[in-house]
Amino acid sequence: MKTAEETRDMLLSELAKCRACRFCLDTCPTYQASAGLETLSSCGRLQTLRYLLMGMLRLDDSLAYILYSCLDCKRCEIMCKSKGQGLEITSLIQMGRALLSDRLLKGEEG
Amino acid sequence: MELDVNKLSADLGRLIGKEYVFVDKPTNLLYAKDVMPWDVEEQYMPYAVARPAGAGDVSAVLRYANEQSIPVHIHGAGTSLIGLARPKTRAIVLDMGRMTEITVYPERGYFETGAGAHIHLLRKELAKHGAMLPIFPGSEWIATIGGIVAVNTSAHAVDAALGKPGDYVLGLEAVLPTGEILDTGTESTRRPAGIEHTKLLVGSEGLLCVITKLRMRLVPLPYFENIVAYYDDVDDILDAVMAMYRQNVPPPMFFEFLDGRSAGIGFKAVGLADPGGPVGMMTLHCWSKAGCRDLADNFVAFLKSGRPREARVVDDKQEWEKIWGSRAEAGNYVYRLGSTFGSEVSPRIDKLKEAYHEAKAAILGLESYKDVMFHAFGHIGAPSIHAYAFVEEKDLPNDVKKAIMAEVRQKTEDINVKYGGCGGEWGVTGQRVPFLRKRYNGAYFNLLLQLKRTLDPKNILNRGNIEVAT
Repeated sequence: MKTAEETRDMLLSELAKCRACRFCLDTCPTYQASAGLETLSSCGRLQTLRYLLMGMLRLDDSLAYILYSCLDCKRCEIMCKSKGQGLEITSLIQMGRALLSDRLLKGEEG
Repeated sequence: MELDVNKLSADLGRLIGKEYVFVDKPTNLLYAKDVMPWDVEEQYMPYAVARPAGAGDVSAVLRYANEQSIPVHIHGAGTSLIGLARPKTRAIVLDMGRMTEITVYPERGYFETGAGAHIHLLRKELAKHGAMLPIFPGSEWIATIGGIVAVNTSAHAVDAALGKPGDYVLGLEAVLPTGEILDTGTESTRRPAGIEHTKLLVGSEGLLCVITKLRMRLVPLPYFENIVAYYDDVDDILDAVMAMYRQNVPPPMFFEFLDGRSAGIGFKAVGLADPGGPVGMMTLHCWSKAGCRDLADNFVAFLKSGRPREARVVDDKQEWEKIWGSRAEAGNYVYRLGSTFGSEVSPRIDKLKEAYHEAKAAILGLESYKDVMFHAFGHIGAPSIHAYAFVEEKDLPNDVKKAIMAEVRQKTEDINVKYGGCGGEWGVTGQRVPFLRKRYNGAYFNLLLQLKRTLDPKNILNRGNIEVAT
């Protein structure tokens, strides 16, 4: 089983592959439902998670909402794959959620 | 003096509705992030993201920002390859994403669209009316029509065949930095002759106004024919492009190429055998089926007068999709597996070959990073040479990435200067300001600054895109 540190490093390495091309935006139902708010999109979640793990963001209510509003529909992954990147976006988001939940339970800062 | 973000948020909320104003850090950060390969820096973090519904909202925000001297950065889709979308100062980011309404008026011969409409959705809507959107960016899935026209980018298209996006714009609704709303152009399909503001504002890169709505001519959907040509040497393709212009051969709307290395990667990715050399791929268009075929046959005959191993019309749709897809796959490769630093060299056509080889030598001889790889693919028939420095390492430090980008930029822009080119896709501000100053004389640059000062006296719009080189 991976340690939290290993998970974090693996996540950061995978998240670095998202170049914020945003091609997946229109496939994301929460992006559509929010009239195109990029933060509530697949790309938005990956970037948010990345900057959180890098220490530029702290876990707060808005950030938790961004990460936990993903519907896990995986439509973004089809687009990402068709554009050659093939990131497992929803898995990354779920791993990010788990990592952060664990840290929060231990009383650490996001 | 530090700006009171809570007050700003409340003020903007009163102007456009509080549900459309965001001051949380994740949202600010995301809207500051574009496709530039380095991270957002704290000092450029936006104060707020405002999401106006239309010109009235934009006017209210700009009037307020102008009175308060707060910079405003316009956000279409964030896909600029030259850093236009990255705020260069703390600012209100104006997200155009709610302005997506599209109305087609076949009886008037035009359509109107909000600036935030995505290109692929616009194309789909126009197709229902038998019309073609004559704009083909690689970022089609997300690029906005407002962003495209604000840069007046040709993207994939060969200018000599299809013109620029601005050639199809009949009129604009635009908001000046001081808040006044302009309605330009015409509702006729006949564009105004003489001095007219549409032409001033198209391609103004968000420095002079915020484009909120566009009226564009309907273009009938043509027939297409596709051609592939395999070569042994990239010089043979460059010769073909130069001969095409020299002999006044009607140019295709797309004339793409992959160098040998990129072709091998791209073809493999789509399940085709490595072509073993560079590949050219062309698409011609015409409003008669027979005429289109005739054009294609003539173009193949023209290509065969050069040195292709093979040149032919591709009738099999699936085969063409693979061949055409190989170009995107080559691009995916360089962006996926490492750090990529691109350039846009558009030389005088008779200097295409010299420019290509000088660009290649410049990339391979970079001092800021050793052992980079050279890739070239793109719209060679335009002509655009996209010379890429590719580093097989994703996690380079920000300062290293910036140093490589700066050197690639400077050396390839010097080739543009040397061979009288400018570029046709990326705009000329953002990272290209040093080029702009070198390429044209002081009077030219000063006129641009005077124009900016006249329309934007407090320099609130896209501040930093014309003043600095980063």
